[in-house]
Amino acid sequence: MIRVRQLRKVFGTASSAVTAVEDLSFDVEPGAVTGFLGPNGAGKTTTLRMILGLVTPTAGTATIGERRYADLPNPSGTVGAVLDKSAFHPGRTCRDHLRVYARMGGYPDSRVAEVLDLVGATSYAHRQARGLSTGMRQRLNLATALLGDPRVLILDEPSNGLDPEGIAWLRRFLRDLAEQGRTVLVSSHVLSEAEQMVDHVVIISRGRLVTAGPLTEVTRHGTLEQTYLALTGAGATA
Amino acid sequence: MTTMTTMTRVTTATALMSAEARRLSSTRLWLWGLLGALATGGLVFLLAMVGPENFDPPMPGLATAAGTQMLLGMAGLLAFVPALLGTTAVTAEYRHQTITFTYLFAPRRGTVLAAKLSVYALAGLAYGVIVAVVAGAGLVVAASVHGVSLGLPTSDVVGFLVRLVAMMTVYTLLGVAFGALLRNQVTALVVLGGYFYMGETLLLLIPGVNAVYPFLPGGASAGLTGFTYVAQAVSQSGISTPHLLSAPLGALVLLGYVAVAAVLAFGTSLRRDVT
Repeated sequence: MIRVRQLRKVFGTASSAVTAVEDLSFDVEPGAVTGFLGPNGAGKTTTLRMILGLVTPTAGTATIGERRYADLPNPSGTVGAVLDKSAFHPGRTCRDHLRVYARMGGYPDSRVAEVLDLVGATSYAHRQARGLSTGMRQRLNLATALLGDPRVLILDEPSNGLDPEGIAWLRRFLRDLAEQGRTVLVSSHVLSEAEQMVDHVVIISRGRLVTAGPLTEVTRHGTLEQTYLALTGAGATA
Repeated sequence: MTTMTTMTRVTTATALMSAEARRLSSTRLWLWGLLGALATGGLVFLLAMVGPENFDPPMPGLATAAGTQMLLGMAGLLAFVPALLGTTAVTAEYRHQTITFTYLFAPRRGTVLAAKLSVYALAGLAYGVIVAVVAGAGLVVAASVHGVSLGLPTSDVVGFLVRLVAMMTVYTLLGVAFGALLRNQVTALVVLGGYFYMGETLLLLIPGVNAVYPFLPGGASAGLTGFTYVAQAVSQSGISTPHLLSAPLGALVLLGYVAVAAVLAFGTSLRRDVT
């Protein structure tokens, strides 16, 4: 469903160029939760933003169902994404925030109540975004992404700042979405936590692919963390 | 989550405009706009109540053509207020990072700017109508309180009020377009305000620039409202001033600047990576 091919991104001009992503290729299949893993600064966010058309690749392609994001006939109805921790106007209520984007996507207002219920945010829907906790914001983010009932979900570090209860809720939530046959791609830099959440992994380091495959296969010689350290040689010579 | 099978999607342009209208009405921005418009119209009323003949230095009174025109022109000097409100159309999206969701829902970024310009054109028009109604009513009330009749025939007063409406609408759009180009509200405000209140006056000191003054933003604004301190000051200094554009031409020139800024924004800042 998601196909990344020879993706490359260089930020800045010649003198101060930084290569964030280099020759990156991988696929993400439907019906499973795929973890997009790597340390901070590995290029995860840049890659996700290239898949979503927010960052223009220097080279290579990223497609969703054979199309670039910007060419999707109904982008928000195909892909739901959460990239920022808080992408809300502080003075707008949760419900009004969703009503704005429901209109943008062409969805009826009844859908706003549905997604609020879905993520368990109905009780604070009347509140302005400025007063929300991290967990509340994350649920509102998810609600926004789900407005178009998308087949593909892309979440950048969704468990960041969540308490254990929130993480457990998120794990169940993503599991349900994957079991409905959706494609779920979740980035994380916390390998131990991701291990409990994902079926497949795509591991990158310094902008390059380290390994990809089913979790059981990748971790057959130890935990995800041990595997990662062995593969990147972080334990041995760098 | 299969409840959406009956969902019908409305056409994109309408959807984006409708979303912008909701965006505008769901924060306090509309309230600030209403207050700004009421205050601008109220200022004309207040100055008319005081009476220009009581200003320091004294100015032509309400009963003279010059006095009435000057009072309406004062409202035109406050056109930077709707421009400032207009800048937030795009800059607030960057500031609060809503731009990410916005471009996810509408990856063709030009359509987002087009929708914002359309909705803010209507909002600017509403702003201008409120200014004109309050200012017009204020003049009539002040004149009757002072026991004089306005120095201009009603048709002329209405004409100036219509020009004010156009001025407020176009300046709102200037704000939107420059906000899109510069992406930062403070920068947009400094650039717009700095130019109109200082930059253009300085520019006029360069020999020869005088000749193109009617086509510069400030000169076109003067043509639109039929009032400017600069033009009056220059004419009093004895330097020959070029004739100002007619109101419709002045409005068109200003809309041209809106179009140039919007196209520049489309070609530059709108294409930038959203990181």
